[in-house]
Amino acid sequence: MYEEPYKWVEAVGNRRQYLDEQFKQGSPVVALAFDAGILLMTVSKGTPKLYEIYDRLALGGMGHPADLEKLRFSLLEMAHVEGFNRSPSDVTRSRMVKYGIAPVIKQAFEEVFKAPFIVKILLAELGQKAGKDSFLTINYDGTFDESTHGAVLAASKTIEQEMMNYIRQHSSGVSLEQAAGTALRAWALGELAQCRASEDATEGDRDAAAHPIATDHASLYAHLRDTVREKTIECALLDRNQQGSSKYRSLTSEELGRLVPNDTKPSLS
Amino acid sequence: MGMQGDFFQLLKEQVYQFGAAVVGDGQEFTTATTILAFKYRDGVLVAGDRRATAGNMVMYDRTDKVLEIDRHSVMAIAGVPATAYEMVRILEHSFKYYRRTQLQELSFEGKLRAVSKLLKDNVAAALAGTGAVAPIFAGYDFEQETAKIYFYDILGAEFEGVEYAVSGSGSPTIRGILHYLNTWGDQPLSAMSEEQSAIQALRLLTSAAEFDSATGGVNREANLYPVIKFITAGGVRTMSDAQLKPLFDDKVVRHV
Repeated sequence: MYEEPYKWVEAVGNRRQYLDEQFKQGSPVVALAFDAGILLMTVSKGTPKLYEIYDRLALGGMGHPADLEKLRFSLLEMAHVEGFNRSPSDVTRSRMVKYGIAPVIKQAFEEVFKAPFIVKILLAELGQKAGKDSFLTINYDGTFDESTHGAVLAASKTIEQEMMNYIRQHSSGVSLEQAAGTALRAWALGELAQCRASEDATEGDRDAAAHPIATDHASLYAHLRDTVREKTIECALLDRNQQGSSKYRSLTSEELGRLVPNDTKPSLS
Repeated sequence: MGMQGDFFQLLKEQVYQFGAAVVGDGQEFTTATTILAFKYRDGVLVAGDRRATAGNMVMYDRTDKVLEIDRHSVMAIAGVPATAYEMVRILEHSFKYYRRTQLQELSFEGKLRAVSKLLKDNVAAALAGTGAVAPIFAGYDFEQETAKIYFYDILGAEFEGVEYAVSGSGSPTIRGILHYLNTWGDQPLSAMSEEQSAIQALRLLTSAAEFDSATGGVNREANLYPVIKFITAGGVRTMSDAQLKPLFDDKVVRHV
């Protein structure tokens, strides 16, 4: 039945709808540059969403854990074989994505007889100097976007745009403390926007702009408090000051405790 | 094989060859160098001279033979540099790959096995006389909460250096000194502070250089000092030349 072009386009459209539905309840992921590196943050229900890929590469993911694991292993294999055969400097987020997993994700998305990857991926790459950091996000259909100051994953492009606007307003030349605050609030903003989008869809209200989200610190932290009670705040760094070649490290509970508001501390990983 | 986190196996699947026998004359192998490791109060010290030779030629005087494999382990190399550096590269990637795929550090025992396996895979090249390596591996064992030293023969046999280990052509000279120091010195090696242990390492390597032409000594004019690293629970730390210089000037040099 999919031999007819129209049927194929329709099938891909249905698949897009199906996939959009899968991400509605997902936890957003935030990554942003700060003065000593890159901070990645999300809130999870226990399964990690942030990972080390290579010396200067970190991954954040949204979607089905099994699909995320499969693609994470592909990235790890590619990065390590490439880093060994050539050099760690040749392992870049751009090569890993453009010539590695993006074509695989696209192919899975368009092969309508097979299951697609239910996954969105964010790759952060620590530059040799401040200001040289870079980010890349891949959508479930294999399309990717590159950016320099930060990147996010959320249920829809509109919500991602809202989160990025917030990050751009608050992330110029910031310290780790400021970056952690911005990341937490951006996550809360994304989560709030996702909740609003779900409610609007239920009520049949298509005019989301009619319900703008309050972006003041108090409102965002209040939502964060309500949301993270039974979840875990997960935070990792690509730290330029870290000794040795591997720059990735997860923040310890003590470190994170110093960075987040007091009433969210029970949720630290 | 990704689920097992085995990078060496992954390399083999990519048709990578390590330790293939190259036709050689099978002559007795040489390890023209001096490397040593001993336990001091806070952990393990690992040190090595910096000379690389080919026969009676000095090829290079700034070789780094004490190499960090990861944040908590170090391999000091004696033997054929090409093979030794390749082993270090494989181990470095193997430990990182394991940590990143399995989301936990490879155990210290697992690291020891990885070194042993590589040496066993290298037996053909070692016996052909083209790739013999006799390394010292030291690292922090988080299960036992102590830093440990192991040394290997070229076939991959693994021995624990309970208090110290040496390897290379200059090692016979300092092995006796280490035994004497540890047994009849003012205090055993394991009671020495970081500074005291660094002084002993400088004296030991200077003694090795005195009797072994393949071991490089200190060249103060060229600001050339041995490599000394410390392994503790906090990780691997390298003593800088700026720290070594005053120790050497005050505690090693004898003005006669």
